[in-house]
Amino acid sequence: MGFWGGITRRLGYLTRRSRFEQELNDEIQFHIDTLADELQQSGLSCAEAVSKARQEFGSRLRVREETRSAWQVRWLEDFFADLRYAARTLRRNRVFALTAICCLALGIGANTTMFSVAMEVLFSKPSCRDPQSLFQVRLGNGSFCPATQYRFLRDAGIFDGLGGMNIGEVVNWREGSETYRLAGTRVTDNFFAVTGVPVALGRPIMPRETNVAVLTFGFWSRRLAQDPNALGRKLVFDGKPYTVVGVLPRDHRNLAGFGFMPDLYLTLDSSEYLLFARLPQGTHRAEAQARLQATARELDRVFPNPDHKWAAGTAVSAVGGIERLAADGDMAAGGLVPIIAFFAMLLIVTGLVLLIACANVSSLLLARAFTRSRELAIRASLGGSRGRVTRQLLTESLLLAACGTSAGLLINLWLTTLLSRFRLPSPLPIELHIQPDWRLLGYSITIALVVTLATGLVPAVRGTRAGINAAFKEPERYFGNTRWTLRNLLVVAQLAVSIVLLSGGMLFLRNLLHATSLNTGFDTTRTIWATFRAVPESYTPEQFTALARTAVERVGALPGVEAASLARAVPLQSPFRPDGELRADTGDRAVHARYNFNAVGPDYFRVMQIPVLRGRAFADSDRSQSAAVVILNENMARLLFGDADPIGHTLLLPENRRVRVVGLVRNSKYFILGEENPLAVYLSYDQYHDGAPFAHMLVRARRTPDDILQSVNRTLGDLDPAVAAETRAMRDALQYALLPSQVGAAVLGTTALLGLALAAVGLYGVLLYAVTRRIREIGVRMALGATPANILAMIAGESVRLVAAGAAIGLAIALVAVRPLSMFLVPEVKPTDATNFVAVACVLSLIAALATLSPAIHGLRVDPADALRHE
Amino acid sequence: MESPLNREVLPGTLYLLILRTLRRGPLHGYAIARRIKDASRDGLNIEDGSLYPALNRMLVKGWLASEWGISANNRKARFYRLTAEGRRQLDKEAGEFDRLMRAVRLVMRNA
Repeated sequence: MGFWGGITRRLGYLTRRSRFEQELNDEIQFHIDTLADELQQSGLSCAEAVSKARQEFGSRLRVREETRSAWQVRWLEDFFADLRYAARTLRRNRVFALTAICCLALGIGANTTMFSVAMEVLFSKPSCRDPQSLFQVRLGNGSFCPATQYRFLRDAGIFDGLGGMNIGEVVNWREGSETYRLAGTRVTDNFFAVTGVPVALGRPIMPRETNVAVLTFGFWSRRLAQDPNALGRKLVFDGKPYTVVGVLPRDHRNLAGFGFMPDLYLTLDSSEYLLFARLPQGTHRAEAQARLQATARELDRVFPNPDHKWAAGTAVSAVGGIERLAADGDMAAGGLVPIIAFFAMLLIVTGLVLLIACANVSSLLLARAFTRSRELAIRASLGGSRGRVTRQLLTESLLLAACGTSAGLLINLWLTTLLSRFRLPSPLPIELHIQPDWRLLGYSITIALVVTLATGLVPAVRGTRAGINAAFKEPERYFGNTRWTLRNLLVVAQLAVSIVLLSGGMLFLRNLLHATSLNTGFDTTRTIWATFRAVPESYTPEQFTALARTAVERVGALPGVEAASLARAVPLQSPFRPDGELRADTGDRAVHARYNFNAVGPDYFRVMQIPVLRGRAFADSDRSQSAAVVILNENMARLLFGDADPIGHTLLLPENRRVRVVGLVRNSKYFILGEENPLAVYLSYDQYHDGAPFAHMLVRARRTPDDILQSVNRTLGDLDPAVAAETRAMRDALQYALLPSQVGAAVLGTTALLGLALAAVGLYGVLLYAVTRRIREIGVRMALGATPANILAMIAGESVRLVAAGAAIGLAIALVAVRPLSMFLVPEVKPTDATNFVAVACVLSLIAALATLSPAIHGLRVDPADALRHE
Repeated sequence: MESPLNREVLPGTLYLLILRTLRRGPLHGYAIARRIKDASRDGLNIEDGSLYPALNRMLVKGWLASEWGISANNRKARFYRLTAEGRRQLDKEAGEFDRLMRAVRLVMRNA
């Protein structure tokens, strides 16, 4: 009790310090006056009494000091005094302060922004009521559960509500005469009731409602212009009217996570769902898990399937935080690792940039510690203990770090606001809502403290080490060889790290260049890709096939169209890559492989400009009633038939499809740009039926695709109002394939250049400092007859030594460090390619030369007479 | 009258003396020093320079409370009084001091 009272009383003192001083003065005055009165009464004169009283009282100053110290919290007072002193010092050296704060701001800004993005993508809390009691249910080693099993599970009554959501779906939205494809998430009618997703306008979807939809804020803003009367409006999706009952808030986060943001949620049956369950009151998760397991075994009994067991891999996992990430990772084997690796790499990269920035600031502080050595020596001689002075120097770096962190946070806020405005449309629409929160604050404070220690500790210890003698000695001189002072070592380290960063950035840049110039194997300059999708309920598969055939005939007849073909898959945009067994009639054993599959019309190879090397392309005669035919690419033919001519041979495909090889085409790209030796099998479109209600059409323009873009789109739209058609030029569509490379190159390239710029600044600082210190020496040499060339050689020599050391170490580390990056790169770009490092070394040399320029000129301009007087 | 022996007060007993002096009622700083000097028949003389720091330390510890008032000679002065905590501290320290003195006397008599 007494302890806390003391704290509160001392805090009270802090707030009324000036009044305290005044009162203490009055009190002491009173004491002396009373004493003087008494002395007067015992016979002394007034003046004598006063002087004797003062004498008896003693030093008022000391009494005031000691009384004050009774109230002070010593270290706090010291800290504030240090802060004021540090602020004054920084104000006096504005250039230094600004440079240091800028360096730190850039490093911290980049680092904290990356942290914010990573936190948002990986660990964001989904928008729902009471996320602690909401869980995601998984069965049969998968996240998705078919509708029948969902209904079984729902009715089993284990949970207090089981809702389903399917995120990968698309709906057609008819507005006026245009039809658009939207990312519509299908939910069960009880989904909103179970999850409690908050709604900003209107209300959520209620159980047992049908034909209602809830829009996301983004869709409502972009497509409906924030119409205040949107609630109650009927929008036509997939040919049916849906009533809008609600609009979601701006910061809505989907339960699936990773920034996924659909256009709307609607009540529509889906073939499979992600499951979300609310646990009943008082039920533990373990209990629910056990009951789930039991129900899953029941499922296996009711729906027996030899290949797939529902009871294997059941899980009840949390909907947010680390657990969701782990659970997702378990289920989506291999899918999550690249994402986490990507973010880890970005964090490391920005961490390295921050380190370079810290090294800069540390170097600057070291330089100042040396120039202040006299001031520090005087302080030491006046009684300042080493610890005290060190604390003061550290407070300076703390102030720098605090300013740098604040500025860095401003950069962070600006960048994250910028990022939150973007919407990545594919493959699944992603929109990030990055909001600063306590996690960011905690991380920033930690960074600030780390930076303080990293930049300030060594200079502080160094600066207070030398005793008073060392400070007043003449500054040390050296002739000729570079001394490996701490600052020089810092610069070498900075250069080394810059090289590592540059190597990474260079790799991504080459990857990007390579990807853009990569030959896709098919024509992208004059090709148009159209997709049209009919409402499944309105068309039987036969009707749709007829519709598709009509479509391709009409488009093919348009002026400006050279050829048009239907296709089941589109290379690099919508590929289809199953694996299965293929048996050639020549071989005795079957080949099991993953191959790219497509079912195409007769003009496909002409549209795509893929050369037919042997045999023929498909013809109109290859219809459903005629003999089944197949066309292979070179790799597949070689795999199945070796060097023999495959034409005329028969092949057994999966699902017992026996086909005859009629053609051989050149290899091209199918699945991703970066694939090697892909296999491909083509069937005739008319001979392949899978009942999907959508089709792709590929069109070759006579001149440029822009000529016919509109007319193709209109033709398709005219087929049937409920059909949604999307048409775009292939070269535009391919931009999305390049997006990861572009993002990687942009981010890594920028951070690498940032790191290099910071290192260059460090190099410049060190060289300038070295020249300034050796001005006398330069003057002497010039007086003794050295030519400007000699001086230049001296200065440049130092620079070259530093850069060479940094480059050597950096390249050695880079050789090892860039190897893991190969998972993000196209196979043609190899991380350990020599040209990469040569390029990096050249860039470094160029920047180093620039950094040396100014100090060199400074050195050359030295006037020998002035220099000899210089201290 | 013999000149008063200006003996420094034993360190550690200063608090005890001040607490005891204030037992009967609030006093201002000068009066406290005066009272101690008189009560000890000039045996103890508190150096004025150490009085105020001590008083303030006791204020921080919560043994005393202070307020401004008017002194006997009509001047504004700060008066100190014992708090309940201070009374407890007085009893405690008085007890300790007695024990210490008894022990010292025993040693002086018997050793």
